[in-house]
This record gives sequence, structure tokens and C-alpha cells, in this order.
Amino acid sequence: MYVLVIGCGRTGAYLANDLSKAGEVVVVIDSKNKSFKNLSSEFTGFTINGDATEIDVLKEGKIDKADVVVVTTNNDNVNAMVAQIAKELYNVSKVMVRVLDPEKEVIYKGLDVMTITATQLLVDRFKEEIITN
Amino acid sequence: MRYKELILNRYRLLIKYIGILTSGIGAFLLLPLLVIPFYPEDIVHINAFLIPAVVLVVIGYLLWKFTPEGDDDVTLSLKEGGIIVLFSWVIAIISSAIPFMLAGKLNFSQAIFESTSGWTTTGLSVVDVTQTSHIFLMWRSIMQFFGGAGLVVVMLSSILNPYGFGLYNAEGRSDNLLPHVKKSTKLIMYIYGGYTIAGVLLYTLVGMGLFDAINHAIAALSTGGFSTQADSIGHWNSLPIEMVTWVLMILGTINFATHYTLLKGKFNIFFKNGEIRLLAIFIAFFTPLIGYFSLSNLYDTLPSVLRRGFFEVLTATSTTGFSLGEFDNWNTFGVFALILLMLVGGGTGSTAGGIKLYRIYIMFKSWLWGLKEYFLPENSVTGNYIWRGEKKLYIKGEYIREVANYIFIYMLTFFAGVLVFLAYGYGLRESMFEFASSLGTVGLSIGITSPDAPVVIIWTQIIGMFLGRLEFLVIFFALFKMISDAKYYVTSK
Repeated sequence: MYVLVIGCGRTGAYLANDLSKAGEVVVVIDSKNKSFKNLSSEFTGFTINGDATEIDVLKEGKIDKADVVVVTTNNDNVNAMVAQIAKELYNVSKVMVRVLDPEKEVIYKGLDVMTITATQLLVDRFKEEIITN
Repeated sequence: MRYKELILNRYRLLIKYIGILTSGIGAFLLLPLLVIPFYPEDIVHINAFLIPAVVLVVIGYLLWKFTPEGDDDVTLSLKEGGIIVLFSWVIAIISSAIPFMLAGKLNFSQAIFESTSGWTTTGLSVVDVTQTSHIFLMWRSIMQFFGGAGLVVVMLSSILNPYGFGLYNAEGRSDNLLPHVKKSTKLIMYIYGGYTIAGVLLYTLVGMGLFDAINHAIAALSTGGFSTQADSIGHWNSLPIEMVTWVLMILGTINFATHYTLLKGKFNIFFKNGEIRLLAIFIAFFTPLIGYFSLSNLYDTLPSVLRRGFFEVLTATSTTGFSLGEFDNWNTFGVFALILLMLVGGGTGSTAGGIKLYRIYIMFKSWLWGLKEYFLPENSVTGNYIWRGEKKLYIKGEYIREVANYIFIYMLTFFAGVLVFLAYGYGLRESMFEFASSLGTVGLSIGITSPDAPVVIIWTQIIGMFLGRLEFLVIFFALFKMISDAKYYVTSK
């Protein structure tokens, strides 16, 4: 499977490491060269240093051939834009987005992408723990 | 205490890997037996290969099976990869020498020399090829085939788990062709194997016998240079055969990532590659110079001067080591030009040796950038890049320092080796030629390498070939790591 990971922070890097170790083909895009230090030696994929909001960078990452695109940058607006490009322009079958601000989850309504909001997950879990006990 | 356990765990994993690789090497030893159906008289040597093969496979299996399972979820760092690479290369070289000894052909030092020369794709030989049976000639070529690609690359492409870059990088073959190490190594083996088969076909087309064709195709592509004839390619004295050899040597000295861009049809990127340009410049520059100053006295006609000059320039810079004749009668200009070419060597991430065109290219570029910055305003920002594979690679200061360090240590080793030769009473030009040829894993000889060379000289060359092939750093890393770990293990309670 060809996985394109956009954003090489903690989430992106850990995911890329694990996927690469599991034998998947992984390419990581990040705008800062330093971010690639988060990748461990088990990562054997490619890294692309560039701004994912530029179509040329996504093309270099062969987004048209990607089976999965995971968007995990630290900017909700960038995430939304890249997810939309992947889904609408390139028809990537599986697009996954990390959402930072729970209020922005509405952006993805009507777009067939999988979203996960870390904050919302935490809140739900804590709330459950407090109310049920 | 905790750290001590950790060290132990890591080494268990390393031993497991070394076990797998040892079994693999054992399997390689069985390959020359394929010659027997075609040359039944070689069956007398079957035990020389069968015994070590079985022993290795069993030892490897036992190491793998009976090393207690450590923490499974660990990955190898570059240093640990280095330890595995160092051990498996040493095991490969020693076990490959055993058949020569069992058959009574060579003594210990000579046998180690021959197998080091094979695995490092050097091509210097202490074997008299006219007296050697087919099975041993084939075995020499098989060593070069696997040594050219690299032990780890071969293993990663087939049986090893893809536990990361540490192992892959450690062997001095660091280009990633595809976004996964397993896929990259597979692709390398396909390209390499495909070219070899094409080489065999081409050689048979231009009139070489099948057995010679197989051996020479492997030796040319792996830039090894073992020949089945005493006077190498010169034996045939045939221009078509030389032309096929040109092509194969050039293919062998080109980086696999660059081959991949070429095979994908991206010619413009291919010609942007610094190594290719530098290679072309070297050939275009040195062929006429050597021809004019060195060969014009030895040959009568211009075509024969160019034919010899071009071939020897190519064989030196690609670090193959085939030759069309001897070098004794060359004047010092020609000999020294070849020494320079052998020191520079071929492309990184190819099967070639030497300092590598890429490093020379970086240093040259770095010098140019330095000059340019001198004339720019003080606060100007420059992005210095080169083309590598199909990507732009931005070059930073630290990187240039690494390259400069490498060249320094390479030259230091070169001079140290030459001193050893001089101490044994060889002339300066012969010493430089022969050791540049060993260190660069070239395989051209000016006559020092022979079965009756002093033992110290033989071992100096063995060390030179080994260091040159594994590119120094890995060996230092691995040794340093092992010593510091052992120290910690012994001294701490």
C-alpha cells in the first residue's frame, strides 16, 4: 500500500515509522527539514521537504498514486485544504485528517474523509470517567 | 544494571542477524556446484564447496535458533548495522577462502587474498587461471557478483526482515530507489541481474564462449575484473568484445538510483547528474593525454593508441580492472594518470570503488560555491544544491566536512600502504599503482601482486581492499561501539 503522510510532527512521524516497519511504502511531506529528525532508523521511505499546500509538492509526492493520504500538520486550515485536494482532485480512496480545533470538524461534513479530533477524544473520555463514577 | 540488560538484548538481536547471514553465505557456496553438470571432471572438487557450505548453514541456523529471544520490537541503528555488516563480511571472506585451501590450491594468506579480492570486487589475483578448473573460476565470479551488489543488499532483497536503514546504510550503499528498503533492494537486484544477463548475451553475440561470457559479464558489471584468461580481455584482441566491455564497465560504475532514472526514460535528469558529467570529463580529458604522452611511443597507429588508452582509462576509473596488456612499459606520466583515476574511482551506490566521483564532485562544487560567495554581499543567502538520482539535494556545511574527512582518511590510508610497499623495496611508482589499485578495489596490477609476494604485502593489500570496499567509517563505528559496550559490560556492576 502506498501511504502519503503530510506533516512530520509527532503523530506523522510515529505513524510513518510504524507503517514503514510493517513493510508499507511511505512518503512523508513536511515544510521544515528539521521535522524529519522525528523519524527513526526503521523508516525507510522517502521524505519530501516542501509546503503541502503547493500542488507541485503534492505531485512530487505522487498523490495521484496514493492509496491512503494522512494529513497531520499543525494547522487546521492547511489540513482542510490538503484533505480536500486529495479527495476532490485526486480521488484518493482513503483520506484521514487530524483535526486540532473541535469546532472545525464541520468543515469536513459532506466530504468523505475520516477525521479524528484528539481534543474531542480526550474530552469524551474524561467526561465519561467523571460522570459514570 | 538496566543498561547492561539492554546491551545484552541488542547483541542477541545482532547475533540472530549474523546467524541468518551466515546461513545465506553457506547457500552461496553451493552455487558453483551448478557448473558440475557441464564440466563433469570438476566433481573432484565437490567436497571443497559442500563441506564449508553445510558447516556454515548449520552454524548459522544454530545461532539463529538458539540465541534467546530478546525484546523483539527493537530497530537497528547505523552502528549496530555496522557490526552486522563487519561480521558478515569477515565471515563471507574467510569461508569463501576455504574451498581454495581444501583443494590445496592456495595457502591461507593467498586464499584470503583471493576471496577478499572477489568479495570487494577488486580483481587482483594470485591464482594461475590457466591451471584452474571451471568450478573455481565460476566461484570467483560468484563472489564478485554478490560482493558487487553487497551482502546486505542481496539478503535484504530476499530473506531478511526489513529492519531499517541502519543495515542498508552501513554497507556503503545508501541510495534509496523506492520508498521502502525492501523494494529498493529488490529493484537493485533486478537491474543488476538484468544487466548481467544482457551482458552474457552481448558477449556471446560478439563471439565469446558461454562460460567466458558469463564470467566476464559478471566481472565487468560488478566492476570486479576477475578474468578467465591470463591476459584478461587482451586475450581476444577483438574490438567488438572490448566495446561490449566498455558498455558493461560504464553501466557498472553508474549509481543504481541513476540507472533507475535512466530506465524510466528521464534522460535530461540523467545528464544533469554530476557523476555522469565528471565521468565523461575524465574520460574525454585523460584518454588523449595518456594517448599522446604515454602510448604514442608504444603503438604505431592513432586508432590503436586510442583503443588502448580509452580502455585503460575506463577500466581504472570504473575500478573494474580488466586490461588489454601490461603496464610495465608505460612511462611515468601514464602510470600516474591511471593512479589518479584509480584513486577517484567510480560512482557512489554503484558497484565501483575508490573515493567516488560523487565526493570529488561535491568538493569541486564546494570550492566553486566558496569562490562565488566571496563575491556576493555579506548577508546573501544561497541554496547550494546538486542533482542526485532524480532529486535536488541541498548541500550543507556539515555534509561537506564529512566528505572532506572521508577523502582525508582515504589518502592517509593510501600513503600508509604505499610506505609499507616501499619498506619492502618496491619502487615508488609500482607501490603507488598497486596500492591505489587495492584500496580503490580496481584490480589492475603492475606486477607486484603474485603468489610469491611477501606475506606482509599480501595482507596490506587485503586490508586495503577491505577498507576501501566498506568505506572505513562503518568499520570504525562498529569497532568503537563493540569496544565501548564491552568496556561498560565489564566495568559496571
